[in-house]
Amino acid sequence: MKFLILAYKNLKRRKSRSFLTIGGVAVAVAVLVCLLGFNAGYQGALTSDIDKMGYQVVVTAKGCPYEAATMILNGEAGLKFIDEDIYKQITSDPDIDKITPLLAQLAYDPEKMEGKGGFTNYLGIEESYMPLKPNVEIIKGEWFSGNDVNEAILGYDAAESEKKSIGDKISIPGKDIVFTIVGIFNRTGSQEDGTVFLPLKTTQRIFDVEGKLTGIGIKLKQIEKISEFEDRLYPIASIQVISMSQVKGTILNLVNSAKVLIMSVAFIAIFVAIIGVINTILMSVFERTQEIGIMKAIGASRLDIFQLIWMETLIVCTLGGIFGSIIAIFGGNLVELLVRKVMPYAPGGRLLLITPQLLLLSFLGVIIVGIISGLYPAFKAASMRPIEVIRSGE
Amino acid sequence: MEELVIKASKLKKEYSSVSQKIVALKGIDIEIKKSEFVAIMGPSGAGKTTFLNLVGYLDRPTSGELDILGCDPAKFNEEKLSRIRIGKIGFVFEEFFLISFLNALENVQLPLIFARDYKNNNRPRDLLKRVGLDHRLTHFPNELSGGELQRVAVARALVNNPEILLADEPTGNLDTRNAHELFNLFRDLNREKGLTIVVATHNIRLGYSADRIIHLNDGKIEQDERLVK
Repeated sequence: MKFLILAYKNLKRRKSRSFLTIGGVAVAVAVLVCLLGFNAGYQGALTSDIDKMGYQVVVTAKGCPYEAATMILNGEAGLKFIDEDIYKQITSDPDIDKITPLLAQLAYDPEKMEGKGGFTNYLGIEESYMPLKPNVEIIKGEWFSGNDVNEAILGYDAAESEKKSIGDKISIPGKDIVFTIVGIFNRTGSQEDGTVFLPLKTTQRIFDVEGKLTGIGIKLKQIEKISEFEDRLYPIASIQVISMSQVKGTILNLVNSAKVLIMSVAFIAIFVAIIGVINTILMSVFERTQEIGIMKAIGASRLDIFQLIWMETLIVCTLGGIFGSIIAIFGGNLVELLVRKVMPYAPGGRLLLITPQLLLLSFLGVIIVGIISGLYPAFKAASMRPIEVIRSGE
Repeated sequence: MEELVIKASKLKKEYSSVSQKIVALKGIDIEIKKSEFVAIMGPSGAGKTTFLNLVGYLDRPTSGELDILGCDPAKFNEEKLSRIRIGKIGFVFEEFFLISFLNALENVQLPLIFARDYKNNNRPRDLLKRVGLDHRLTHFPNELSGGELQRVAVARALVNNPEILLADEPTGNLDTRNAHELFNLFRDLNREKGLTIVVATHNIRLGYSADRIIHLNDGKIEQDERLVK
């Protein structure tokens, strides 16, 4: 029997109290891991979303560039339109490597999500779309047979959720036209997985916006030339140039300010847990005044008692850390679901990135917290004098 | 000259509270030799427990000199005193003072843990056997009788091979038969191993089974008699 077992036996004596304290620590650790994991995951998912977009630069109608960027990332419509002429006008710009016109539209489908209703994204594209999207390929079927045909290519998730395959028909709610599915894209892990792609001309016709675009996706030969490129486009009054790396930076800035808030919540949880641990251990120290006195009388030194009580605190925190990590790993999916519901823009891919390093870091953190919170009760216990116990027993 | 294990001169101990000052020991001189079996007797408040606590390093004298096994406790801090105490002095108390969440064997093992002695695995078992409790090893204190509890406490006091065994009213909570058995145990330990035993007791009959009786009254030595056996 050693110190550790002695400390463990004592904790076991008051099972429900020890269990509740461990639970408090576990919740704090789980919160910390989830919040930090979300922080890392969101950043990663956003970066990969933007990188997968393929375009470095998007030209849209003038307006709030971040609103526009968010909508593009979401594949949403509702954007102001720009004239198709502008596309033709800038295509010949010497710095452009690849360029493609885009027309995003949105339609409410009351049948979507098993009758709950929801929006479907439609994106009108041309063949020039594909070279800009190196990670997109047609895994089933083929490209549209013409520029203005009633054919659709589905994003991977769109096909899966609608249980559609090549040759099946779909219709756009409120429009009296039936489309034949000619192709299905691969899973890219971005918002476009849920999009229905139509030929650009068809989209313009169906949604009654002939000669209009919602955006132009551009890849420059050298991204460093972006400001010169922007300057050349500046005279065109109705458009703005949005660089995706700027957008990424801005969204990350926003997320970083949220991080401060997130961290304060995590620290409050930890603080409450520390108080809980100190309270439990201190209470058990006071209850055991006599026992500690006896231990000292039979030879335990101040250091022994200190070590014993401290070890109890450490056991509580270690077990709390282990359970908290388990809760975080399994409960993280739940948190992700919740976050996706409340966030205005959530990138595709995993939002919650719980890495071994993160778990280890949180675990180390809770151990350090345990070491610190055990100091006072342990010191209090070590200072008890055996003589008082013996005298009170007289 | 025989080796002295306890030497006290002009030993004085005062307890002061807000309202009064109690002088528990009024400057006593005591010398106890190695392997002596000494009974300290006297009425309540005579200073018996105070003397044992001072000898056991549990308390410090107000004035006077104390030499226990060649150490002057006044020279050491509390930490050092506990280290000395654990190796040299065993304590037995009137209320047994066993740890309730540990069984008999674990209670006896406890001082070994504090002494960081993890090798002496058989000694606790042997000692419990020696005090006649080898059938009670895994019993918890609430499952043992008063006599058994005190024998566990004696085994615990002996586990670190002390040179002095101090017992404060060890029979106070025991019936006559168990009290008698305990004194026989002390007697035997004293004879077999030459263990120095100092026991404070009210029990006259048991006191007279020691080699020597020191009668304390009101903090002073009233009589120091050596019993010829």
